[in-house]
Amino acid sequence: MTTLEAGASTLDARGHANRRVPAAAVRARLTPWAYQAPVLISLLVFVYGPLVFTMVLSLLDWDLVSPDRTFVGVDNYRRLVEEPEFPHALARTGLYVLALLPFATIVPMALAIMLWKRPGRASDNYRSLLFLPVVLAPVATALSWRFVLDPLGGVANHVFGAVGLPEQDWLGDPDTAIWAISLITSSRFVALNILLYGAALAALDRRAFDAARIDGATEWEITRHLVVPQLVNTTVLLSFLCVVFAGQWTFTNVAVLTQGGPDASTDNIYYRLYTYAFTFFDAGTGAAAAVLIVLILTALFGLSTLLRRRRALG
Amino acid sequence: MTGRTGRVRGRRLIPALLAAVSVFAAAACGSSDGDSGTENAAGALAPLDSATKVTIKFLSYNYGTPGLGGTGTQALIDAFEKAHPNITIEPQGVATKDVLTRLRTDTAAGSPPDVAQIGWSKMAEAVQALPIVPVQEIPPTAEWDEHVAGMSKSILSAVSVDNQVKAMPYTMSIPVLYYNADLFRAAGLDPAKPPTTLEEVKKAGLAIKGTGSEGVYYGVVDSAKSDFLTQSVVNGNGGSLVDANGEVTLDKPAAVGALTGIQDLVKSGAMPAVNTETALAAFTTGKLGMLVTSTAVLASAMKAADGKFELRTAGFPTFGSKPARPTYSGAGLAVLAKDDAHKRAAWEFIKFVTSDAGFEIITSKIGYLPLRESVATKLEDSAIVKLLAPSLEQLDTVAPYTAFRGTKANQAVVALQDEAVEPIVLRGADPGPTLTSVAEKIRKLSA
Repeated sequence: MTTLEAGASTLDARGHANRRVPAAAVRARLTPWAYQAPVLISLLVFVYGPLVFTMVLSLLDWDLVSPDRTFVGVDNYRRLVEEPEFPHALARTGLYVLALLPFATIVPMALAIMLWKRPGRASDNYRSLLFLPVVLAPVATALSWRFVLDPLGGVANHVFGAVGLPEQDWLGDPDTAIWAISLITSSRFVALNILLYGAALAALDRRAFDAARIDGATEWEITRHLVVPQLVNTTVLLSFLCVVFAGQWTFTNVAVLTQGGPDASTDNIYYRLYTYAFTFFDAGTGAAAAVLIVLILTALFGLSTLLRRRRALG
Repeated sequence: MTGRTGRVRGRRLIPALLAAVSVFAAAACGSSDGDSGTENAAGALAPLDSATKVTIKFLSYNYGTPGLGGTGTQALIDAFEKAHPNITIEPQGVATKDVLTRLRTDTAAGSPPDVAQIGWSKMAEAVQALPIVPVQEIPPTAEWDEHVAGMSKSILSAVSVDNQVKAMPYTMSIPVLYYNADLFRAAGLDPAKPPTTLEEVKKAGLAIKGTGSEGVYYGVVDSAKSDFLTQSVVNGNGGSLVDANGEVTLDKPAAVGALTGIQDLVKSGAMPAVNTETALAAFTTGKLGMLVTSTAVLASAMKAADGKFELRTAGFPTFGSKPARPTYSGAGLAVLAKDDAHKRAAWEFIKFVTSDAGFEIITSKIGYLPLRESVATKLEDSAIVKLLAPSLEQLDTVAPYTAFRGTKANQAVVALQDEAVEPIVLRGADPGPTLTSVAEKIRKLSA
């Protein structure tokens, strides 16, 4: 019998393949899978399983409780597209993204650069204070804002009144509510992204900037021409994360403060999904909305990847 | 009910005498998790014996809240467990607007609570969608009759469906006019003569507004998406949201006129264009003269007013000479228990909390209406019942809560409140076309 190689099939005296694989080879093949199994099983159970279940659910008419689940094909998707609520929520989510984008990029980048340029205890303290909104309970924060923005005696209107500006019903006026929700949510983006910009800045070689200073560059020129260009990749990543998380992170504030109102002006796709599934108990439409959200985000991610590749090639 | 039906079928083979003996034997030998509750001849359940230990889950939107609702509910549970040492209550808190969501998901997961406090605006959908056991079916008829004998007949009649009480009236309230007597005096109004009609309310509101405070607030824009005050206002103008045949009538002239009247309060400046929570905060801090909302907030309002201003109440204002027809709000207790022991234990709990002892706690500690005259009489000298007196006088005029047809009744109420009531009242939307458009949407949802 000729052994071809360790762990491969073997040939008998007449040259026929011997189907018995040595135990060691089997172990060698299975060992990587055994190591990966906990992660793969977890992914299957907690991510891909529910995803498939959601896809199946999106084809049904079901109220979450009744034993009757009717297969309705793509009716839920058709209704989502045809009725005005979901497209409206999608458009409002786009507005949230636009409103939050500066707070996900420009503001934290500026703060992170300032902190990075003045290392020391004071900088560390500021960094800790600025990070605080990330760890505060979102519902408690939202409730606090309700008192601040109360139209009859809230702090915001007291301040406006003190400087002679007209009082506002910040959360009750369709023209101001979405901006109020965006501003409340912005603190989380700023807080987290300062940290991420800080990590990117920490990787930069300070000697290059010292060299520029010796050559006579001003601090603004160093920031504008040396620091910011090196943060482009981080900014692109954080912009994409803003697109993904704008709807999710505004959800709590919308649920606590406005419930999508007034006149659906603060609605977003995640709150709409929640409303379909858990206020109207239309599980099929809620699931269809979830699938559409995944498809939209996947398309955006694909587009962004394509554009970056083309730019790299160009 | 399937299990019970199966057992009844099985007993057809057993002579009547043996069946009766077995029923008594089962009643005497209950277990903690089995079907130890026993059925009487009518299919109802006889009392548990004292050796039977049962734990029942009670879902309540008052439980665990930081205010009087939370402490009052805990007091009810404590008093019940003291009186029934064999039954343990496992309370579960939930936000008011999430009650149906929680019940649906718990039921889908196979573990609904045994008893749930469900708001009346969501009761119709709950009865349709959830495996609710009609509470009147649980005890023997004589026991039921004896228990409800002292309760408000008008409320029991209002909550009955097909002559049967599906959920027990529990924390009940009707709308009332709260007013700040100090702000009345400051505006030159006589607090002994509170307004009784919408016109008088507007006049008084404008007078108070003239002193720098806010005038009046009708709490029709409710963040919990309940339409009970909308119904009360529309009923008061001789209209309805739904007629006797279940047809949507919220775009008829009476309903349009009712909301136009409330909108006029805002347009005139007598009422601030804010939501109910903001108005309640303004009232309890002495910045709002009058507040028309549920008696449910009475205890909290009394606590807030204590030492700050004189709180008084008056009956729900009418539209001119038309009679007030307030509908009720608050909640009923529904049973979702699966087995007989838990059903009977659930009934014991419901029976206790709606007894004299229960309503005494509900009224004195939480501020809901005492639905037993004996309790109202016993507490008549208490400050809270004195303030509830105008509502108790209007109790006989209470109109049933009307629900939209179909399984999407909750969605219809949300559409009514968000797309019609709020834009009309707070943002000056034209009542006629707005109600017509929303009525069409609700008709489609009800189809």
